[in-house]
Amino acid sequence: MAVGTIHNKDAFINKISSKLGRDRNESVILPKWEHRPQFEVLKGASSDELAAAFKNNSLEKSTYVVETDAKNLASALEKVIEKYGGGQLVASNDQRFTEYGLDELLKQTKAHVWNPVLGEENIAVTKKANIGMFFSDAALAESGTVVQFNDKDIARSISLLPMAYVSIIPKSTIVPRMTQVAQAIHKSVEEGNNLATCINFISGPSNSADIEMNIVIGVHGPVEAVHVIVNDM
Amino acid sequence: MKVSLFVTCLSEMFYQNVAKDVVEVLERLGCEVDFPRGQVCCGQPAYNSGYRKDAQKAAKQMISSLENSEHIVTPSGSCAAMFKEYSELLKDEPAWKGRAQAVADKTYEFTQFIVNVLKIEDVGAEYPARATYHTSCHMTRLLNEKEAPFKLLKNVKGLELIPLENSYDCCGFGGTFAVKMAPISEQMVDEKVRHIEDTAANVLIAADNGCMMNIKGRIDRKGKPIEVKHIAQILNTRVEGRI
Amino acid sequence: MAMKIGDKPFFDRVDDALEDNFMRNAMAEAQDGLRGRKLKATVEDEQIGDWEEWRSAGEEIRRHTLENLDYYLNQLSENFARQGGHVYFAETAEDATRYIQDVAKKKNAKKITKAKSMVTEEIGLNQALEEIGCDVYETDLAEYILQIDDHDRPSHIVVPSLHKNKEKIRDTFRDKANYTGTSEPCELTAFARSQLRETFLEADIGVTGCNFAVAESGTISLVTNEGNANMVTTFPKTQITVMGMERLVPTWEELDVMINLLSRSAVGQKITTYVTNLTPQLEEDSIDAPNEFHLVILDAGRSNALGTEFQSALHCIRCAACVNVCPVYRHIGGHAYGSIYQGPIGAVLSPILGGYEEYGELPYASSLCAACTEACPVKIPLHEHLIKHRENYVEKKGMTAEKMAMKTFGIGASSPALFKLAVKGMPAVLGPLVKDDSISSGPGPMKLWTSVREFPAPGKGNFRKWFDDHKKGRNQ
Repeated sequence: MAVGTIHNKDAFINKISSKLGRDRNESVILPKWEHRPQFEVLKGASSDELAAAFKNNSLEKSTYVVETDAKNLASALEKVIEKYGGGQLVASNDQRFTEYGLDELLKQTKAHVWNPVLGEENIAVTKKANIGMFFSDAALAESGTVVQFNDKDIARSISLLPMAYVSIIPKSTIVPRMTQVAQAIHKSVEEGNNLATCINFISGPSNSADIEMNIVIGVHGPVEAVHVIVNDM
Repeated sequence: MKVSLFVTCLSEMFYQNVAKDVVEVLERLGCEVDFPRGQVCCGQPAYNSGYRKDAQKAAKQMISSLENSEHIVTPSGSCAAMFKEYSELLKDEPAWKGRAQAVADKTYEFTQFIVNVLKIEDVGAEYPARATYHTSCHMTRLLNEKEAPFKLLKNVKGLELIPLENSYDCCGFGGTFAVKMAPISEQMVDEKVRHIEDTAANVLIAADNGCMMNIKGRIDRKGKPIEVKHIAQILNTRVEGRI
Repeated sequence: MAMKIGDKPFFDRVDDALEDNFMRNAMAEAQDGLRGRKLKATVEDEQIGDWEEWRSAGEEIRRHTLENLDYYLNQLSENFARQGGHVYFAETAEDATRYIQDVAKKKNAKKITKAKSMVTEEIGLNQALEEIGCDVYETDLAEYILQIDDHDRPSHIVVPSLHKNKEKIRDTFRDKANYTGTSEPCELTAFARSQLRETFLEADIGVTGCNFAVAESGTISLVTNEGNANMVTTFPKTQITVMGMERLVPTWEELDVMINLLSRSAVGQKITTYVTNLTPQLEEDSIDAPNEFHLVILDAGRSNALGTEFQSALHCIRCAACVNVCPVYRHIGGHAYGSIYQGPIGAVLSPILGGYEEYGELPYASSLCAACTEACPVKIPLHEHLIKHRENYVEKKGMTAEKMAMKTFGIGASSPALFKLAVKGMPAVLGPLVKDDSISSGPGPMKLWTSVREFPAPGKGNFRKWFDDHKKGRNQ
C-alpha cells in the first residue's frame, strides 16, 4: 500500500493548542458520555419486531419489500427481476450467492458477476444494467437502511449505477439502528483492523427535494430499490 | 403571600392600566403587594444592544431594590427573562453574582406566578369575546413558560380562544431591533397581523408589553378593528359572586 | 471574497430582498415545510425517545471534541496518512486552493466533478480550478442549478437554490442547456441526471466537502440523498476532500449520534438516503474506487473562535435548523446576509471568519427571539453569541449617538430618582406629539418606529402615586 503524506501539521496544530490556552494535548481519554439515548431505541426488540420495523421504514422510503425464506429465495428474486423488467443484471462478487443457492439464478439470468480481472469492462456493463444485486452486511430497523462494506469485489457501482438495486437482507443481520453497526466498527478499529474503503449506508432509491421542496425519486443513483428479507433464523 | 411588583418601564410609562390590573388581580388572589421604590428598567435595551456595562448598572440597581422581596412578579416574560441573565451579566463580580442569582430565583412572570406558585388556574374572570393569544418569544423560549397563560385563559368565562397560525414566529419587536432593522421588523409585524386577522378575532391578548406595543402600533396604523389587551386586563374582569 | 455575496451595503441588500416577493414566498413555504418535517422526525418521533436527550448528547460530544481539537486532528491525520491518504493542513483559503490546484496540475486533470460543499464555496475553489483550465461540474441538483445560472450564489446552506422556483429553473435550463421540457420537478431532475451521467464516469478528480471525519479510523463521512456524492467518490481516480477543521468526531460511536442529529434536523429524515464513509484503503486493483485520496483541513479564521466565548459556534454541524426557523431569514432570504453562511449561524460565524469590518452588521439582523437557540441540535446558544458580537462591535466603534444614549440610559437606570424623573417627564416630552391617544410621527429613532406603526401616548396618570393612594385605600 502506498504511504501517505502530511503537510504543515505541527504549525497548524500547535496554533490550535495555543489558542486553547495550553500545551499540545498528547493523550485524551474519551469521557463516559452522560447522555446515551441511542441505546434506548428499539431496545430489546425481537427479531420479528426488528424485521417489521425495517420493513415499514423501507416502505416509507419508497422501497419495495419482499419477505421470503432461504428455500424460496431464488424464486422470490426471479419474481422481483421480472417485476422490474428483467434486462441486464449485475451482481457483486460475493460468496453468499453460492451459499444461498443462487448460482443457478445468476447463470440463468445471464448476470454479470463483478470481476476485478475484467477491469473497466465491469463499469461499462454496470452503467447500462437494469438491476444491481448485492447482499446487505447489516440492516437498520429504525430507518430501513442496508449497509455495505465495499471492496474490490463488493463493488460500489452495483448499488449505484443500475436503474434499480436489489438488496438481499438475512433477517439475522437486522439491528435496531446505526448505533449497533457503529459499535461493531469501533470495536474492530480498536482491535487494529483496517476498515473497508467504503462503508455505505443506503436507504432506498436516490432522491432530491431541491426544487421547491418537492421530493423527486431517482436522481443520480438508482430510481428503484428492493429489499428482500430472507428468514435465515 | 407577599409579592413585590416589578412593574417594568413600558408599563410604568405607557400601560399604567395594565400595572393596576396586575396589582388588583394579585390582591384579589390573596397576595399582599408592595412596590419597591428603587426599581428602574431591567437593563435589557442596553444588554441586547451590546452595552454590557450600562446594563450592569441597571442590574445592580434592580438587585439592590428587590433582593429583600419574597417573590418578585412582573407583567412581562421578557423582563423576567432578563433577570435570569443577571448572574451571567455579573459573573466577574463575585460580590454580585450570588445576589443576582437569588433575585432571579424568586422572579416570576405574572401568569407563571399565578399558575405555578399560587396554584390557581381559574381566577374567576369573564370576558365574552373571540380572541387569539400571542406567545412572546422570551416568555416561551428564555423563561420556558409555554402553558400558564393558556391555562388561565381557558377558564375565562365567555372567552373563545382561536389558535394563532405561526404563533412561534417573532412579531418583530426585539427592542431596538424594531427601529434598527425597521424594514425587516415591518415585514415581521405585518405577517403577524395577517395571521391575527385570519383568526377573525376581535381581541389579541398578549403577556408582554413590548410585543403589544409593536403589534398594536401596526394594527392601529392599518386601521384594523382589533383590540389589543394585556392578559392582566382580561383576568381582572370579574364574574359576580365568584371569588 | 468567496464567502462574500455581492458588493452592496447591508440595507440595500435588505431592500432588494424585501422587494423580491417570489423569493420571500419561497422562503416562507420552505420554512413552514421544513419545520413540520423536522418536528415530525424529532420531538414528535416516539421511536427515538426524548429528543432533548439527543441534543444533550450532541452538545457534550461537540464540546469535548473542540476542547481537544489538537489531539483529534493529529489522530485523524495520522490515521488518514497511515492508510495511504495525503493530508494538507491549510491555514488560509489561499493555501487550500493552491494545494488543490497543484494536485490538479500534477494529475493533468481536465474534468472535475464536485459534490455539494459549503466549505469549497467558502474558499472559492471552483474559480481557482477554472483559472488553471479545469472544467468543474457541480453535481448536487441545487448547486448544478446555481452553476448553470451563471454561478448564482447559495441562499441556504442545505438547499442552496431555495430562492428559485421551478419556472425559473426551467428557463435557466432552457437558456443555458437547451432543455425543452416542462417545469415539472421530475422532468427537470431527470434532465440533470442525463446531463451529468457521463461526466461522472469521465471525471479525473472528484471533490467533496466533509460532514464529519472520524479521528480513530481516518474516515470521511458524507451525508446525501441524490447519490451524486457516491458518483463523485467512486469513479475518478483521485479524490480530494475539503473539511473545516472542526468537523470531526473522536470515534464511530460519536459519528452515529451526529449523523442522527444532522439527518433529522436538516431534512427531517431518520437517516439520509446515503451515509457514505470513505477510508483511504487504496487497493491497486479496485476498479471503482480512487487510488489517490487527499484531505485538506482548513482553518481560514476558525481558530479565531477557539478559546473565546465563541468557541461553541464551532460546534455547528451545518444542518440549517436555525436558518429554517429564523423569522428574519424568512423575510430577507439568504443573499441579504452577504455571506454564504446565512441565517442565525451565518450572523454568528461570518464575523468570526471574515471580521466585523465586513460582517459587523449581521449580528443586528436578529430580533433575539431565540428560535435559533431552541432549534439547534447541538445546543449552540446562538442568540447569546449575537449579543456578544454586538458587545464587541460597539466596543470597537467610537462614540456614537447610540452609545451616548446608552450611557445616559446607564446613568438613568442606576439612579431611581433620575428614572422617576424620566418617567414623569415623558408626557411633557411626548405630549405635543400625541393625537387621539397615540403618536403617528416622531423625531429621531422614533421616526423609524412611527414610519411603520403608531407609538403609544404616555399614560396620563402616575402609577407610583396611584399605588400609594390604592394602598392607603386598602389599609383604611
